[in-house]
Amino acid sequence: MTGELNEAVAAAQAGDEEAFRFLYRSLQPGLLRYLTALVGADAEDVASEAWLQISRDLPSFTGGEFRAWTVTIARNRAMDHLRRQRRRPALPVPVQALSELAGDADTAERAGETIGTDSALALIASLPPREAEAVLLRAVIGLDAETAGRVLGRRAGAVRTAAHRGLRRLAAMLQRTDADQSSDQAGGATPPRPRTGRGRQAPQAPKAEPADG
Amino acid sequence: MNFRRSDGPADRAESERLLDTARTGTPPEPTADPLALLLAAAAAPADPGELTGEERAVAAFRAARANPAPAAAPRPRHRFRVGAVLAGVAATATAGAAFAAVSLDRNPEPAPPPVPATSGSTGASGPGTPTHSGGATPSGGPSGGIPSTAPTPGGSGGPGRPADAAQLAGLCRAYLAKSDRQRARALETDVFADLVSAAGGADRVEDYCLALVPEKSPEAAPPEPASPRAASPKPSAHKATPSAPAAPTRRTGRPTTAPGR
Repeated sequence: MTGELNEAVAAAQAGDEEAFRFLYRSLQPGLLRYLTALVGADAEDVASEAWLQISRDLPSFTGGEFRAWTVTIARNRAMDHLRRQRRRPALPVPVQALSELAGDADTAERAGETIGTDSALALIASLPPREAEAVLLRAVIGLDAETAGRVLGRRAGAVRTAAHRGLRRLAAMLQRTDADQSSDQAGGATPPRPRTGRGRQAPQAPKAEPADG
Repeated sequence: MNFRRSDGPADRAESERLLDTARTGTPPEPTADPLALLLAAAAAPADPGELTGEERAVAAFRAARANPAPAAAPRPRHRFRVGAVLAGVAATATAGAAFAAVSLDRNPEPAPPPVPATSGSTGASGPGTPTHSGGATPSGGPSGGIPSTAPTPGGSGGPGRPADAAQLAGLCRAYLAKSDRQRARALETDVFADLVSAAGGADRVEDYCLALVPEKSPEAAPPEPASPRAASPKPSAHKATPSAPAAPTRRTGRPTTAPGR
């Protein structure tokens, strides 16, 4: 997987458009999910900015973990975005996502059964920011703890600790909802790859076009 | 259903295993514990709705290929930041130093906007083509003078409109950075002649500039001017309302965002 990615990076650097598409398709979902936790509904716009920068700076990528490189760009764009909004970056919990979670609660609360991607992300996003970022970088972006630490400017051990705390918190949330459901459902009928329709991801026309620079 | 766990992974090692499983994308068994299912859902394969920006990204890729940014491109903000600081100092110094700001805008480093859609993209600076290389030091000295020896920015002929726009933006920033009293005087100088004509009259310069200089731009990230003399409005301060002339603390209208990184 990583080898495939690296090949695509090299090809894209040489101008191969299909390789670039491959990169986009491989990385965009994770970036978008991560950004949703950081900036909520503006994630698509921020991701778009990030891809502009990725396209532009691709020639200057000199190796290393490409995922980390792209997610660092995305994160910086998100931080810029939050500053622009004069919100504290330390408060990335997207209120929209949480309230949608309430709407989506049918899914979320059948905790043992199926949980959709959106609900899962909303739950993760409700963690304290550091924990949420650690979990997302590890599980969704797919970085190891060392690399995630570099992205976050923290030690790997700190990332592991944050992720661990986050998981325990998530488990507690799940258990609570599970208990609410007087859990006697058999888990057997669960589709292995649960997803909900992503209604809220309505592809909006990008309005913020600038940022080629 | 699954009562095995009461409060999630027992230790960091177990958490690491769960996270690593999720990131490999292996579909969990249906009977996996809820936390594993949750992580798997979070890391589920792409939904088509998530890839709607593909054509735009590819277009950006093409544009970047067609017009590759110079090697210096990765750090545009830095350049601008330095420029902003210098320009801030300059504007603090005098009207004469207005030049510094202007020529800074036409940044020494060859950073032609990679894509036609320049304005607003690289931040407020919109670096035009560099004609004066490097000579952007705010050397004017703190004499409240009218710039006399400086080259006229308008005349030096940037190629085409982008450069003009950048020049005008630079002039605007310099202008807006001035106190009320200085402004009136500045507009009588040759330096600002282009600006005055572009605005359609000296009395319209202010509105023109407020419209022209973006009040905030994603990339423009002038930090606090380090200079202790910073008791002056920043060059890009759009809200430099004409009130107390040379008011020392007019930094309220700081419109820009914090540094990019």
